[in-house]
Amino acid sequence: MLIPEFLQTLVQGFLLGSTYGLMALGMAIIYAVSGVLNFAHGDFLSLAMYLCLAAFSYLAFDPYLASVIVIPCMAALGMGFYQWLVRPMVGRQMLMIVQLTLGVAFMVQSGLLMAFGGQPKRVPSVIEAKLLIVGDVVVRGPQLVALGVSVVLAICLYLSLNKTSFGREVRAVQQVPRAAALMGINVPRTRLITFALGFAVLAVAGILLVPGLPIHPSQGLRYTVITLMVVVLGGLTNFVGVLLGGLLIGLAEAFGTVYVSGVSGFVLPYLIFILILLFRPKGLLGGAA
Amino acid sequence: MLNPSFWTLLRSPVPWIVLAVAVSAPLWMSPFYMSIAILTLFYVGFAMAWNIVGGISGLLSLGHSIFVGTGAILTSALFLNLGINMWLGVVIACVISALVGAVISWLDYRFRLGHLSFALITLAFAEVFLLVVLGTDFLGGASGLILPNDTGNFLQFEFGGGRGYFYLSLSLAVFALLVNLLIINSPLGYFLRCIRDNEDAAQAIGIDLLRCKMVSMAISGALSALVGAAYGRYMVFIDPYLFAGLNLTIEVVLVATIGGLGTPFGPLVATLLLIPFGEVIRGHLGGVLPGLHTFIYGALIVIVILAMPRGLVPTAQDWWQRRRRRGEAAQEKPELQRGLKPPTPMED
Amino acid sequence: MLEVSGLTAGFGTLDILHDVSLTVASGEFVGLLGANNAGKSTLVNCLSGLVPARRGTIRLDGEDISGMPPHRIVERGIVQVPEGRLVFPQMSVLDNLKVGSSTRRSQLGRTSKLEEVFALFPRLHERMEQPAGTLSGGEQQMLAIGRGLLSNPRLLMLDEPSLGLSPLFVQTIFRAIKALNTSGLTILLVEQNLNLTLSCASRSLVLERGKIVIEGTADELRQDPQTRRAYLGL
Repeated sequence: MLIPEFLQTLVQGFLLGSTYGLMALGMAIIYAVSGVLNFAHGDFLSLAMYLCLAAFSYLAFDPYLASVIVIPCMAALGMGFYQWLVRPMVGRQMLMIVQLTLGVAFMVQSGLLMAFGGQPKRVPSVIEAKLLIVGDVVVRGPQLVALGVSVVLAICLYLSLNKTSFGREVRAVQQVPRAAALMGINVPRTRLITFALGFAVLAVAGILLVPGLPIHPSQGLRYTVITLMVVVLGGLTNFVGVLLGGLLIGLAEAFGTVYVSGVSGFVLPYLIFILILLFRPKGLLGGAA
Repeated sequence: MLNPSFWTLLRSPVPWIVLAVAVSAPLWMSPFYMSIAILTLFYVGFAMAWNIVGGISGLLSLGHSIFVGTGAILTSALFLNLGINMWLGVVIACVISALVGAVISWLDYRFRLGHLSFALITLAFAEVFLLVVLGTDFLGGASGLILPNDTGNFLQFEFGGGRGYFYLSLSLAVFALLVNLLIINSPLGYFLRCIRDNEDAAQAIGIDLLRCKMVSMAISGALSALVGAAYGRYMVFIDPYLFAGLNLTIEVVLVATIGGLGTPFGPLVATLLLIPFGEVIRGHLGGVLPGLHTFIYGALIVIVILAMPRGLVPTAQDWWQRRRRRGEAAQEKPELQRGLKPPTPMED
Repeated sequence: MLEVSGLTAGFGTLDILHDVSLTVASGEFVGLLGANNAGKSTLVNCLSGLVPARRGTIRLDGEDISGMPPHRIVERGIVQVPEGRLVFPQMSVLDNLKVGSSTRRSQLGRTSKLEEVFALFPRLHERMEQPAGTLSGGEQQMLAIGRGLLSNPRLLMLDEPSLGLSPLFVQTIFRAIKALNTSGLTILLVEQNLNLTLSCASRSLVLERGKIVIEGTADELRQDPQTRRAYLGL
């Protein structure tokens, strides 16, 4: 095994994994406060990327600049999603909610197809071609930005969930919504804000991924599956576990592609996921769910 | 052991009239509508096969593309690469699908997966299957397989033109529906409904969970593979993304849910209404607005789930019965307990 | 302080409470008795805004609060300590207590309230950093009451606080509730335990199949032959 190649793969997996972790964090927060496993997550990510594309085509905005438009839009969308689709479903069967989100996924995906056409598109960025070379390891500029932002954002989220009174309210709603309501917490409002937050985090993940990446309307489901894997690996509501799950899937994807020949390389993350579902259904850390 | 209602159904004239109209369709239908009818009937087949697991047993399987794909792709690959007669290929594909289905059910049972994990694990298996197909040259890889032109040689699994495939898809759809009805009215169907409603209670009264689950999944898998193989032969080009991709299954699941799960009639009616509707839209507006029909499916499922939690057909049935009861001016008290839900005080 | 009149409520097509009327005066200790399924919890949940009222009014100091969402009722000072305690299992004892003071009204006096609770239940002070899920049943009940107190209640409603506790803990809890009442807090106690409730409450109501059937002081209730019958749900 070549050391430089190994290092390069490790770094790639780590970079990929940090963005996956961020994507999954958005889903995990939403699941935690509402019990909704959003199967349209990947399609909303896709939507955020296409919003970047629109900002680029009409306003010539760089994806990073477009965040001033994309993040508020996605947050508002998250609020609408909760208010009109999720909130009426309170107390209904989990699988029905899953199917509802699948329906939304279809709508978003088809909407993007109608609005932007079926051809793959790209959103360029000024730092797209910048490379960072350390020894034998080469890192693309956008990946470096993605890593930095992901780490900072993850720390911010962790602190706000564990150290602020809003975070305490979120955790209360997550653990026993009924008791939270009895303690004077406005549960619907907490959920509404959390949906906005989750979608904003998702928008950030989309912005970080998009520079130079080919995007296609039908990509959403694949992102949903990856996100679901990461969230389940992390133990659904364990936010640290979710970030670790992201790293694991990122590394598995990177190493699988480079070191395992042919198709079985791509399959590696899914196999890990299946094994975890079977043997550690509460996630990697097996923590309290 | 068959439930009498099954025979009542066969004795009533309605299904026979419907069947007669359907059989005569090639005589009066234009080729455009004919192709829509064929597609619809294949979807009925898929929906009915899925319903055995998704509707009767109440397990949200998102992995039926494995079976559909095995039916279409493996059968074609065996024929193209090894010259194995497609009829034999279909049998092989069905057997393999049944085995795979049984294994998935075994995993579900052995690891007590629960509903959500079942959906997730079938999704993961489906994704693995797609990747394996894309990466295996024997199965056509990413470029797919192309079957030779259909010369109507029945012995080679060829059915001629539109009319042949119409009758093929019609008989498969009817067959799949009959399998559903047979299962529902058999002890197996009764056990499956018990398991769906309360797994622990079902086990406590001595129902063999593992066997019921494995058998139902195996039947569902084999049936999906059978319809998949026929659909593949009809399409000629075996596109891996169509047959092994997740979208076909999800589309079937959504349409079935719109119709209403539990009986085969919900999925049946919804498929018969929505697929032609979608195809007509695609035929007329597909060039201008590709994706409009799937957008409408998505919107419909959202509306139906929000407004009619049990689906289109059961809601319509309720409405009809209530109307009739009112018409009869029945003075009996309305059944207070019927709509009773366990007290779930609002948590919102 | 609290005036309920003609309250009817239930789930789905089923009414559980029928035309319930009651009043609680400021500083009172009212017991609410009844067999299982008599509708006690539904009544309390209705007062808390978790179960919507079909008919009737709930007035707090003259203001109609029926139809208000739970958090606004808490803001006005009606606080429930729910049945089964419902502590937040993965949060520390301290965080649980802090969640209690989520409303704006209760945030100001948080520090002094915390001290009050720790004085009432020293055990909670000892376990401040421990996750609430690891506490014993009795300690969880203390925590649930303490959490309720941090909401700065004017009327504290306790739903079956003795459920599943050892006699020793039951004594501690009831002594604490009594002390709270002596210091001026209005209490509405929902209980199945007849003697315990009668010994604490200044006045009690008996609920039977969603209707209030008897109302009176401990002695009046003890002498009423109906009490036992209603209580056993015969």
